[in-house]
Amino acid sequence: MSVLELTNITRVFERGLPVLDGVDLTIEAGQVVGLLGQNGAGKTTLMRIALGMLRPQTGTVRVFGLDPCERPVEVKRRVGYVSEDQVLPPYLRVKEVLALHRSLYPSWDADFADELLGRFSFQGKEKIAKLSKGQARRVAVTCALAHRPELLLLDEPAGGFDPAARREFLETALQLLADEGSAVLFSSHHMSDVERIAGRVAVLDRGQKIVDRDLDELRESTTLAVLAANNGVVPLDLKALDGCLGARIVRDELHGLFLGSPEAVRSRIASVSATQSPRFAAITLEDLFIELVEGRR
Amino acid sequence: MSAPLHIHLTPGDEAPLYRQLVRQVVAAIASGHLAPGARLPSLRELAKTLVVAPLTVKKAYDVLEERDLIETRRGQGTFVRLDAGSSSREATERLRPLARRLLVEADLANVDPEALSLLLDRERTRLREERETREEAS
Repeated sequence: MSVLELTNITRVFERGLPVLDGVDLTIEAGQVVGLLGQNGAGKTTLMRIALGMLRPQTGTVRVFGLDPCERPVEVKRRVGYVSEDQVLPPYLRVKEVLALHRSLYPSWDADFADELLGRFSFQGKEKIAKLSKGQARRVAVTCALAHRPELLLLDEPAGGFDPAARREFLETALQLLADEGSAVLFSSHHMSDVERIAGRVAVLDRGQKIVDRDLDELRESTTLAVLAANNGVVPLDLKALDGCLGARIVRDELHGLFLGSPEAVRSRIASVSATQSPRFAAITLEDLFIELVEGRR
Repeated sequence: MSAPLHIHLTPGDEAPLYRQLVRQVVAAIASGHLAPGARLPSLRELAKTLVVAPLTVKKAYDVLEERDLIETRRGQGTFVRLDAGSSSREATERLRPLARRLLVEADLANVDPEALSLLLDRERTRLREERETREEAS
């Protein structure tokens, strides 16, 4: 049984624009999936649906084989969730927030919670209202991890963190992964964090899943071809070719992102451009993401 | 105890992290920093040190094992093979795609054959010097 199984999820907001349009996503135990997409691509909505906070108009949601809307307590006890806009009760102290969570989660590990507090340099008596945004997020992270969840949903978890805090957070999340083999769905705009912890990436673009693959495999099977722009070939010509994931004009260059080796791509491009031979560029994950999403516009 | 490994991975690089790890371990074996028989850190240890997913380290170790550079002895750990780096026809076969890739890259970068063999000679000297410095030090 998969830890998370989303099938054909569609969610439309009032004005009729789909936020999610027929999305499938399955995560097995021990898998870490980076959820990528520009702002508004549907990442947060997808996580909320997985958690049972939102109901999709079509499709089925199964977490540990259960419907999170029908069995909310059973599901939530085994899930950890951190979001960008999480609000903690401002009048409580850090220790009190933890005590509150402890009472909700049978699997709460008090030693692990103390270890996390120590790592994040909390005494425990700090008032939530007096914490900075980043500090409050650390408390939320502690709450999400200390019951050693089997599924961790992290929506921009390190959004307000400075680089040192982000590193600390990654180390903590990786420790949990190594110890528990938890499944993780994790959205971030920090591609270097995604590289460090995600084995697989799913890319959402305007409500649709456009890529879902092993991260290294994706990187090693794609090729960026660069041609001169305004030289007889336009993005649509490349998009019509086999294996083209996206094409766009960047200043005076025409970029085409392809599945396939440089040799294969060279011969495909030769069929639309007799005069120009492409140059192939090695690209970073961030470039890959930008070419992929912008190249579909 | 495993040998100290000086590995630095760079996310945001053009090469995936596991490829960077493979490359650096291969370089450490070639330069003698990792001697035949040396024990490598466990998946979990190395993943923790490098702050990457254990899966990334596993992928790298799998590639190294496939290339007969390291071996896992059950219950004991992962070690540099005693015959790592010894030449054979098989090794030549393994080098062939790398050689081809180098030639293609050189061609794309407009580096002519003479400049390429000069580059290889220079790197060979550098590698030998590094190895010698290493031997003197130990």
